[in-house]
Amino acid sequence: MLNRRSFISQTVAATSGLTLAPWLLETLGAQASGRAPMRFIFMHKGNGLFPQVMVPPSLRREDLEKERRKEAFSVDLAQHDLPAWMQPVARHKNHMTILQGLSGKMCTTGHHTWQSSLGVYRANEALTSIKWATVDFELARLFPSPLDHIELACFPHDGGNARGNVNGIETGFSARGPQQPNLAYGSPKVALRELFRVVSNERREQVQHELERMVLGFTAGNHLNLAANLQGAERTKIANYAESIDAVRTRNGRLEAMADVIRRHLPRLEDRYLADDINTIDRQTGHVEILLATLISGMTNVVTFTVDELGTLYTGLRGLERELINLHDVGHGRGVGTLSADAVRTEIRIQHMSLIDTIIRRLKAAPEADGNMFDNTMLFYFPDNGETHHSSGVEWPFLVFSGRNSRLNIAGRYIRLPAHGQVGHKTLGNWYTTILNAYGNPITHYGDLDLALERMRMNQRGPIREFLASR
Amino acid sequence: MNRNHLLLIACLVAVMPSVHSDVRADEKQPALQLPDPVRAVLKGHCVRCHGEQKPKGEVRLDDLEKLEPSTLRDLLGRLQEAVHFREMPPEGAKQLAPEAFEVLMAWSGKEVRRLGGADLTDKLRLPNYGNAVDHAKLFSGQIKDKPYTPARRWLVSPQIFRERVLDSLRVEGPARKQPLHGVASPFALPERSGVRDYDLTPLDGTHFVALRANAALLADKVIGSLRIKLGEPREKVFANPKDRWTPPSVGDGKRPLMDAFEQVMTKKTSPSEDELTAAIQLQFNRELARPASDAEATRYMKLMRSVEKIAGNTESLRKMLEAVWLESEFVYRLEFGAGEPDSFGRKQLSPREASYAIAYALGDKAPDAALVKAANEGRLNTRADYEREVKRLLADLVSHKGPVDSLLSREHLESYISTPHPKIVRFFREFFGYPLAVRVFKDTERSDGIYRVPDRGTSGTPGFLIVEADRVVARIVETDRSVFESLLTTDQYFVYHNMDSEKGAKLIAGWRIVYDTLKDTNWRKDPDGVAKEHAALLKQYVSPTGIKGKRGKGVHETDLLRLMKLFEETFGRGGRPFTTFPWAHGNRFWHSPLYNMAPTPAEGNYGKEGVFDYEPVQPFKVPNRKGILTHPAWLIAHAQNSATDPIRRGKWIREKLLAGMVPDVPITVDAQIPEHKDKTLRERLDLATNKQVCWKCHQHMNPLGLAFEMYDDFGRFRTAENLEHPDNVIAKAKFKNGADTYKTASVVSTGRLDGTGDSNLDGDVKDAIDLIDRLAKSERVRQSIIRHAFRFYLGRNEMLNDSQTLIDADRAYVNSGGSFKAVIVSMLTSDSFMYRK
Repeated sequence: MLNRRSFISQTVAATSGLTLAPWLLETLGAQASGRAPMRFIFMHKGNGLFPQVMVPPSLRREDLEKERRKEAFSVDLAQHDLPAWMQPVARHKNHMTILQGLSGKMCTTGHHTWQSSLGVYRANEALTSIKWATVDFELARLFPSPLDHIELACFPHDGGNARGNVNGIETGFSARGPQQPNLAYGSPKVALRELFRVVSNERREQVQHELERMVLGFTAGNHLNLAANLQGAERTKIANYAESIDAVRTRNGRLEAMADVIRRHLPRLEDRYLADDINTIDRQTGHVEILLATLISGMTNVVTFTVDELGTLYTGLRGLERELINLHDVGHGRGVGTLSADAVRTEIRIQHMSLIDTIIRRLKAAPEADGNMFDNTMLFYFPDNGETHHSSGVEWPFLVFSGRNSRLNIAGRYIRLPAHGQVGHKTLGNWYTTILNAYGNPITHYGDLDLALERMRMNQRGPIREFLASR
Repeated sequence: MNRNHLLLIACLVAVMPSVHSDVRADEKQPALQLPDPVRAVLKGHCVRCHGEQKPKGEVRLDDLEKLEPSTLRDLLGRLQEAVHFREMPPEGAKQLAPEAFEVLMAWSGKEVRRLGGADLTDKLRLPNYGNAVDHAKLFSGQIKDKPYTPARRWLVSPQIFRERVLDSLRVEGPARKQPLHGVASPFALPERSGVRDYDLTPLDGTHFVALRANAALLADKVIGSLRIKLGEPREKVFANPKDRWTPPSVGDGKRPLMDAFEQVMTKKTSPSEDELTAAIQLQFNRELARPASDAEATRYMKLMRSVEKIAGNTESLRKMLEAVWLESEFVYRLEFGAGEPDSFGRKQLSPREASYAIAYALGDKAPDAALVKAANEGRLNTRADYEREVKRLLADLVSHKGPVDSLLSREHLESYISTPHPKIVRFFREFFGYPLAVRVFKDTERSDGIYRVPDRGTSGTPGFLIVEADRVVARIVETDRSVFESLLTTDQYFVYHNMDSEKGAKLIAGWRIVYDTLKDTNWRKDPDGVAKEHAALLKQYVSPTGIKGKRGKGVHETDLLRLMKLFEETFGRGGRPFTTFPWAHGNRFWHSPLYNMAPTPAEGNYGKEGVFDYEPVQPFKVPNRKGILTHPAWLIAHAQNSATDPIRRGKWIREKLLAGMVPDVPITVDAQIPEHKDKTLRERLDLATNKQVCWKCHQHMNPLGLAFEMYDDFGRFRTAENLEHPDNVIAKAKFKNGADTYKTASVVSTGRLDGTGDSNLDGDVKDAIDLIDRLAKSERVRQSIIRHAFRFYLGRNEMLNDSQTLIDADRAYVNSGGSFKAVIVSMLTSDSFMYRK
């Protein structure tokens, strides 16, 4: 695995004289140049994602038949129309992969899945069910950054999995390690305040930043003094703690050193995006601005974004601005106004696609090396619970967008993998193993195994080799 | 030579050159230091076998200078272990003289440390090296060294952390049982079978992340509580309507609890030094249960003044509160000893330290009033003082009473009786490791649809099994006679027991009266009429509100037809129904087949399964079982996802009951049991482990674990094993989540016991029951359990100089007729417990 030092040394040793991303300029100094880190965006939705809505309508009859039978095939998206709801991202078709046929039966499925879809195990509300770091955190470790990873969320208001304050900082879908759920920012306002305090113009936030610095310095100092008088294991018990606090201070210092860059990319959010009674669409839009700012400024290389959950009450949806949409009811087939449940789902996906379009366009507009930041980005759009509202994990559709420096050779294709139980079937574990292997984590297999496949004596370990680009 | 330690040879053998390459080539370590005396020892004792010509185990010790640092580090680490455990030189070879032994040990340890590895001294502190101290020597009585525990900080357990948070907020009464929303426990004990809470864990960045978030939240709660007390509306102070809880600001008789904080907050001008000092002292007392020293008070005052200058009084209070919550002392148990060292250089725990050590040995709460008083009055100094307090607390059946595992989901807790000393039960559940059943992901279909995997809001079937095992342990611990032997050999189990025995028996007796009275009536064709005619009878024995004649709309309602069909299925076939109707809302009891009992009768399935005969008076005898090691919870916890695990089961017995050591699988070994559709797991395991190089280790596990092949991986007793291969399916499942039917083969569950040191016990065993009977009679097994108890109560591995403590504890057990409380008293009054160095 890469550590920060080797990453920096690789970066410094690489090409020169090219346009650098702002973060790199700031971090490495004007003389430095080189390969930018990869960035990963995990954008997941609640209520399932129907496999049938992912299918290009222009498939040939033979392929449609294979699709119906869930048999493996692949077509070039350039030769096909996209489903209508994907029109907002149609201009990015050459970067797009529609990936069908993965399964996740080793995950908790159904209404709520906690860290399952990113960790590939059966997570639930019990901390002990979190077995290891989720895949996004594993990737964050491969591409270190001052904040390592951030998670943004449109938390549910109810739906049986409410976490408290939808505008607060609450348990998200990622995990930092075993039994360590990550915390996600619930509103653009709280994310802006917490993540960009270092460059805030508001007196209150500046004071809070200063106070935090004082407490950290005080606590670190106390423990460094204490550790100085200890030996051996007892010294470690205190010194480790002091060093951990110091690491936070160092990280904050790094952010402070990047202040000019961060300030340049500070999200400029109108008041409506910072209101406490923000509607869902504005919340999503505001979060996208935060996401872009943290990536473009180099504060992080990995963002996980809960675009909605089962219990997220939708407000402000195009054409349904006056409706309060209960996704759970939609999941149970209840329409809204004159729209059927399926039509509401479509409108929601269209909204998601417009967010993705914004992300990709803006990253493409940010120069980096000899291209732009999207060259070094992968975005995954997927359901947190599989194929439907009451899912069983038999399918787990993904929509992937990858830039030209992606180490997977899947862009521009519709890929249908063999169905669950068929020879050659692949799971979420295989998929994440592929991504991790591609970017430098040599793990043999990421995630738990599917016991039903095991019963069938099907090999389910390892990456999907066909997806790995030759290097 | 102890042959358990032969296993380490395999590890030495397994370390191949260039396995590790994580030390970068550009990070060259200084050259290997190979002093002449070391070179001479290697040449004289090692190189003949581990030289250039056909090196044994492919290990060479003649070219150490050529190895990469990481390879060298690992090789020397293994060498150190092999020499320490007297595995090398092997039997029959020229042995090392004491001086040569010391030379090799000191040099290899120094080099391993220099190369960034952990030398043996560090490793011996780790839980998996607990048995490294020679058992015979430990109990020989020849060790006269005075016991002590190294002075230490010991990270609090998650349970103690919760109690400390509640104490620091002065939360009392029922409110202490509420969840602390937003307060994350920074600690999680490792999930392993064996003692989990050691004094080794240092605070790290992960802990700090949680502690920092907690500190901010707790400070906000304290200040919010005072703001509300001072007149601000709760809604304004806490915007989130779902989280407006505050800690108490007043105590009994409206006594203000945070006066000094209030003074700082309400002061319009800069607080005086006295006011700041009072606030600091209050927070120290609330949180650390001690006053701040002068130096601490000065430091904190300086912090408060600095904050005050830029943010005012309330923020200065807030930051002081946060900073104290970030003190490592809040999460460490401090045990340094105090006063003058004795002639052996040991210091006795201070009375205050002793009060905490005793309190946390027996529970999770801080010292009770009597302990604090004893400490304050100088009555916690002598061994007799310790004994008085320990016995007092053990005799107290109320103060600690509660569930063993408050983390189990609600449905399990609701069915669980509490026990007076949950922490004692916690030792045995850690020792046996059966709570890990909840972590082994099982395939519902293979259980024929009865196994509910843990999921949202539930610990599923393993949760019930764990509770049922807890009950077995709790009953034996409460009886406190022949505890170890009973745990290993009891045939008394609890199954489903969600109602007091007497009450359950009465209920079922009443149902039988109903059945006997009505069975010959026209209940099938005229349930309404029969119900009406016998309304009084039904009201008396079935439901205080009577039952409906017709089946109601609700799927959970009881009508006469439904009731009589169930009674006919059970009483009518010579059985008894469970005290909860199968259609009752929330009924989750379906796992009786894991004990080889007939399935809970399910409507639509009547007459198709064996007779269900529920025993309301529990515990009761379950055939083909003997003790915790044959409890389904233990068997599942020590199984694979889809198969049994003789290796893990055997390793458990070797390490936990026979005080032996089995190394982890060498990293060069791809430990896979080969597939073969016509062979049993035992046969396939033999194919993999019978090779000489494998058998060196596996001989210490397989013969023990294979005796348990009489149970499958769900813990069901069996005489035949399903050959679960797709080619062997005889019949597909008949219903959703049902099991396919496979070809079978006879189970062989013979095994072999060795290592008890008793020729009457060692030898071939016919099955697990036979094995367990022998183990229960073994002195070594008894002493091995004592060793694990030592680790639980002392939070560390035993050292050779703890010999007297262990011998005394063992003697206490024997002399008391097998009282575990006697063991506890012995340990908590031992020098190992009382002294620090």
